Amino acid sequence: MKMIRAFIRPEKEQEVVLALEGAGFPSLTKMPVFGRGKQKGLQVGPVHYDELPKALIMTVVDNEDVDRVVKIIQDKARTGFIGDGKIFVSPVESAYTVRTGEAVL
Amino acid sequence: MKEITAIIRRDKLPETKNMLDELGYPSMTIQSVDGRGKQKGAMCAEMDSEMPDSYCAAVKLTPTPSAYALEHTLPKVALYVPKRMLTIVVPDDVVTKIVKSIIKVNQTGKHGDGKIFVSPIEGAVRVRTGEHDGEAIA
Repeated sequence: MKMIRAFIRPEKEQEVVLALEGAGFPSLTKMPVFGRGKQKGLQVGPVHYDELPKALIMTVVDNEDVDRVVKIIQDKARTGFIGDGKIFVSPVESAYTVRTGEAVL
Repeated sequence: MKEITAIIRRDKLPETKNMLDELGYPSMTIQSVDGRGKQKGAMCAEMDSEMPDSYCAAVKLTPTPSAYALEHTLPKVALYVPKRMLTIVVPDDVVTKIVKSIIKVNQTGKHGDGKIFVSPIEGAVRVRTGEHDGEAIA
């Protein structure tokens, strides 16, 4: 299993979530976060924005689905401009469903 | 070291904290998150049946109950459920014990009890002293 954490534009969040649901990955956790990237924030005229609002979407999927999920997020969250975000994939050793107590996703 | 990420009901947090205190692992990070599981939020499980078959042909996209709910502004639909996310980093040998205790405290038997994920952590540093790995989380 892998945990996929995608930092995306907040306005793209709904589109990504609906696309994931359509592909059969309805489960996710989301939270609002603030961050910056290589460009050290955003400069608009004299104003410098150091921390930009992003949406963090976190989901855990089986190994064979990772590429598909990453592709869906990439397709839907992409605008081609800086600030589209990042996707991180990290290992998860086990997942438990609290309701049943079973070690299944 | 392992990281235990538990996404649980909001009202079970105090009980979970007390239980972790008693076990001797009181350190944790708590976040307020919104989430959904297989049931696609609080009301979308019932939406699947409400969604007419003609809708699929009409939108020519993969239809989803959430998309339908948003388009038709249906009442009483919650696409996300507010949850608390706990992150605890613990030594390898106590992972099973802690996971079992979290399940025991949080289990109500109804949908929405949450998920627990266990993932490996490669290193840890205590900022105050600069201690590494095992010492840092002791």
